[in-house]
Amino acid sequence: MPPIIEISGLRKTYSRAFRQPHHALDGLDLEVAQGQVHGFLGPNGSGKTTTLRALLGLIGVDGGTMRIFGEEVPHRLPAVIPRIGAVVESPQFFKHCSGRLTLQLLAESAGLPKTRVEEVLEQVGLRDAAKAAVKGYSLGMRQRLAVAQALLKQPQLLILDEPANGLDPAGIHHMRELLQWLAHSQGVTVVVSSHLLSEVQQLCDSMTIVSRGRRIVDGSVAEIIAGHGGTSLTVRFPDAASLPQAAEALEAAEEAPPGLAASIDQDRLVVTGAPEAAWVTRALADAGIYLSELRAETKNLESVFLELTGTAPVPGQTVQIGQSVEVPAAPAPVTAPTEPVTATTEGDQQ
Amino acid sequence: MNLYRAELRRIVRRRLTMVFGILAAAGVLVLTVAMWIASSPGPTEADLAAAQAEADALNAEHTDFNDCLEDERYFEENGYDWVESDPVYQDMTHEEQCAAITGAWTAEDVIYTYSFDFAAEGRVMLFGVAIVGGLLMMMLASSAIGAEWSSGSMSNLLVWHPNRLKVWGAKLAAALTLGAVAVVALVILAFGLLYLTSSVRGEPGDLNAAWWGDTLPQLARTVVLTLGMTALGASMAMLGRHTAIAGGVIAGYLIVGEMLVQLISIWLPMAFPERLSLYTWIGAWIIGRTELYDYPENGYASTPEVMVITATEAGLLLGAIVLVFGALATWAFQKRDVA
Repeated sequence: MPPIIEISGLRKTYSRAFRQPHHALDGLDLEVAQGQVHGFLGPNGSGKTTTLRALLGLIGVDGGTMRIFGEEVPHRLPAVIPRIGAVVESPQFFKHCSGRLTLQLLAESAGLPKTRVEEVLEQVGLRDAAKAAVKGYSLGMRQRLAVAQALLKQPQLLILDEPANGLDPAGIHHMRELLQWLAHSQGVTVVVSSHLLSEVQQLCDSMTIVSRGRRIVDGSVAEIIAGHGGTSLTVRFPDAASLPQAAEALEAAEEAPPGLAASIDQDRLVVTGAPEAAWVTRALADAGIYLSELRAETKNLESVFLELTGTAPVPGQTVQIGQSVEVPAAPAPVTAPTEPVTATTEGDQQ
Repeated sequence: MNLYRAELRRIVRRRLTMVFGILAAAGVLVLTVAMWIASSPGPTEADLAAAQAEADALNAEHTDFNDCLEDERYFEENGYDWVESDPVYQDMTHEEQCAAITGAWTAEDVIYTYSFDFAAEGRVMLFGVAIVGGLLMMMLASSAIGAEWSSGSMSNLLVWHPNRLKVWGAKLAAALTLGAVAVVALVILAFGLLYLTSSVRGEPGDLNAAWWGDTLPQLARTVVLTLGMTALGASMAMLGRHTAIAGGVIAGYLIVGEMLVQLISIWLPMAFPERLSLYTWIGAWIIGRTELYDYPENGYASTPEVMVITATEAGLLLGAIVLVFGALATWAFQKRDVA
């Protein structure tokens, strides 16, 4: 089955007076399969919103191709737009209009029945607040209204930029269930751009991570974490002064695997590449060092994201916008979400 | 058509539309009340009697008048002997002649009455009401477009309707529809209230076929002018992507533009400098014809050169201005990224 969204080599450059041009998109590739919740992740300024805007015809691009439902966009966008619901960033509505009127005007403009407005108000939990003016809405309520307007058309493709922005925990839970129900029961393809990585991990089936306008990795969420996560061991000792000695002992131990690394992080030793926990206890005991705690830590999406994008915080430093990892110009081979993960990072090239 | 209807509903439901509507209606009411107070159908008998008494009292102090009354030979002795042979004064009594020559006070001199004549003055008031309505529509259209840009509603709408030409057309058509209905309603309201005022407190005059024949085309052109102003306001907001852009341009033209026109006409001696001012062309469009005079060498004693601006010429110029801004707005909306 062909992908619902296909983007290949997308480029967008902003010219700036007296400064170097900014390449917001630098040959970005993206594919989204049907009926999935697809996460679109990247650090600030990596080109996520620019990609969504380009896909929806809001901005022009300087190169590359985009297809939705097999139709080339933006040229054929008017033909496919009735099948797309979208929220790009947090749309601000007319503050003096009620939530219901806001939706009614949009529904009227597209020739949709008024009954649909009541359905989506119910769906996003705004039924009782529909009469109130939007100016009285909280950020979360506005976000719900934005999602409601995206659902009005009963879309086959739902594009949501930060849908959980401003939602309370119950709202996030409700939104997650709604989107998963749409994707898995109704066959709607959902693309979600978000920085809430724990939410993406729970919500999405597949994802694409971008940095500096290029794709770093794509595939199923579980496979990406498994492929880049690994397991590390945290070791603590009764006396923190033993940490350097313990690190040396592990790296010098017999049968130490080639990829083994032991690094000191404050009052603990982080060991990666060890064959098993028992090997660590034995190696330390052989060196006459006795541990007080040993814990296996599996990486989550956040740690994988920080590693892949090169935005992991360094003590005493602040990661600046645009300092994420740079992907080589050659496009990474595109993989289907169910196939093994493909990842290209600067580190892989070295 | 759905989009047009939705846009019409959107602009009608805006709070500023309601505010401007109330302001415009209140303005017409204020004008009516002012005319009601200023106008009167004429002095009463008591008013006239009081005025005559005041004039008589003033005349009692008027030395020349009293000398003339007492002396039958006053005119001969004071160099006015021509009065006796002037046909204007021949049918007057000696007292009336004295009053005329010495400038004696009359009851009319001490009583002021203004009577609102709708047939003579109402037309200009209706033009004024329509133009004020047009200015309000210009700002309203500008605000409606500008607010969509500043709020992000425009990008939201384009996600629903990616055909930008269609979106711009629907917005413009909605603003023009509201403008036409609002201005015509305002003019009808002003006509009704002012006519009523003149009927009760003044003189409605004769609204004959000739009056209607002159007034209706002029009013129609004024309404067309207000539609041009509405389109101009919307186009400016589409170009500048800001609510206050039309208000700024209007204020800028009134303050700087007209001053520049005056300065240019001083610095560069030219015939008919008034043609540099938009007001001249707007006047020609509404009235149907304007004549400008130039006295090149010999001052006002010589025969002036005349430049005639017809409604057609004025319409072409004003229409071209609106078209240029409209075309620029369309091009910019089609080509520029939506942030």
